[in-house]
Amino acid sequence: MEHTPETIPGERRTFAPRTITVRLQPKEQLLTMPREKTVLQVLRKLGIRPTTAIVVRDGGLLTPDREVLPDDELLIRIVTSSG
Amino acid sequence: MKCKRCKETAVVSLPSHHTGFCADCFLLFFTRQVERGIKERKLFTHDDRILVALSGGKDSLSLMLELSRLGYDVTGLHIDLAIPGSSPAARGVVERFCEKHGLNLIVKEMGAEGLAIPDVKARLNRPVCSACGKIKRYFFNKTALDEKFTVLATGHNLDDEIARLFSNTLRWDVAYLSDQGPDLAADGGFARKVKPLWRLSEFETANYAFLMGIEHHYAPCPYSGGASFTFYKKLWTDLEEEMPGRKLDFYQGFLERGRPVFARADNEDGVDLSGCTRCGYPTSNEVCGVCRIRDALRDKPVGADGAEEAK
Repeated sequence: MEHTPETIPGERRTFAPRTITVRLQPKEQLLTMPREKTVLQVLRKLGIRPTTAIVVRDGGLLTPDREVLPDDELLIRIVTSSG
Repeated sequence: MKCKRCKETAVVSLPSHHTGFCADCFLLFFTRQVERGIKERKLFTHDDRILVALSGGKDSLSLMLELSRLGYDVTGLHIDLAIPGSSPAARGVVERFCEKHGLNLIVKEMGAEGLAIPDVKARLNRPVCSACGKIKRYFFNKTALDEKFTVLATGHNLDDEIARLFSNTLRWDVAYLSDQGPDLAADGGFARKVKPLWRLSEFETANYAFLMGIEHHYAPCPYSGGASFTFYKKLWTDLEEEMPGRKLDFYQGFLERGRPVFARADNEDGVDLSGCTRCGYPTSNEVCGVCRIRDALRDKPVGADGAEEAK
C-alpha cells in the first residue's frame, strides 16, 4: 500500500492512502497515520525501539514481524519506567 | 515468527535470547527465569516470610503474582506517598490486585507519618527523587523488621539493575558497587533484600503483566522527569539492540567477577554505620536521613544532607 495518493493507470480516480489508528500509552495520544506493512515499520516510524513497547491488536500481542492491515487499531504501550 | 517450543504463532519476540514464544510458552519461560534467578543466588526458600514492595507498577505486581503462583509465603507492602492524582491511582491498583488474588497487603501512609512527598518536595532545594527513595527504603526496612519478615523483595528488573550498575560504575562508587546485586544479606539493622526479577528485562515483565491480565499503574510519577536512570536505560536499549544479550552478560559478569573485588575494597575502607539516635535506623551520621527530613518539614528548609543509608 502506498503512503501518498496515487492515480491508477487508465483511470482518473485518485485514492487517499489507507491509514491505521495508534493509541500511544502512557501519553494517551491517539494518532492516525499512513498504514505501514509491519509492526516493526510502525514502531520505526514512531521512533520506538521494539523492546521498549508492547503492541496490541484486538486484545492480542503482536511481534514486530506481524503484518499491519489497513484500518488496524493498534495499542502501543511504552514499558520503560522512569526513575 | 513461530514459537520456539511449540511452533504456534509467537506473541513475544525476545532478541536477547534469539527466540520468540507463544503466550503459554512465554509464561513458562518467565516462570523458569524467576526460579533460576532465585536458585542461582539462593534468594529465599519456601520457609521464608517474604514482604514484597508493591508500587502498583507492572514489575512489583508481576513479582508478587509469580511468587504466589510458585507457592511462596508473600505479603505485599504499599507505601502511599500522598502525591495528588498519582498516589490514589497507584494505591487503588494495588488494593484491587491483592483483593482479586487473595493476597495479604500492608499499606503505610506517608501523609499520616508527616512525610507526604509534595511537602518534602516543597522543602527541598534538590530533586525529590532521592529523598522519596530514602523514605520508601526506610519504611520497607522498618516494616520488614517490625513485622518479622525474613526477606524483603522488590520488583527491580534487569534494566533497573543495569542502569544502577552503570551509574555506580560511572562514579566508581565502591560502597554501592560492593553490594549491588539481587541479594543483600541482613546486616546491622538492615533486613535481607532480594530482587527475584534480576534475570528478566522490563519488556519481558511487561509482556508477562499483559498476558496475566494484571491491571497496573503505568502513568509516570509527576516528579520523576529527567531522572538519570531513564537516560541510562535508553543508552543500554540502543546497545542491546546492536548486541543482543549484552545486558545480562554484563550484569552476571559483575556479580561473578566485579562485586567480590569491590566488596573486599569496601571492607577495608568502608564507612561504619550505627543506629540513628532517634529511631535506630542504620546511618553514618548521628541522625538518619529520614529523621532529618522530618526535622526539615517541621522547622526549616533543607540544605544539603548526606546519602548514607541508600542501601
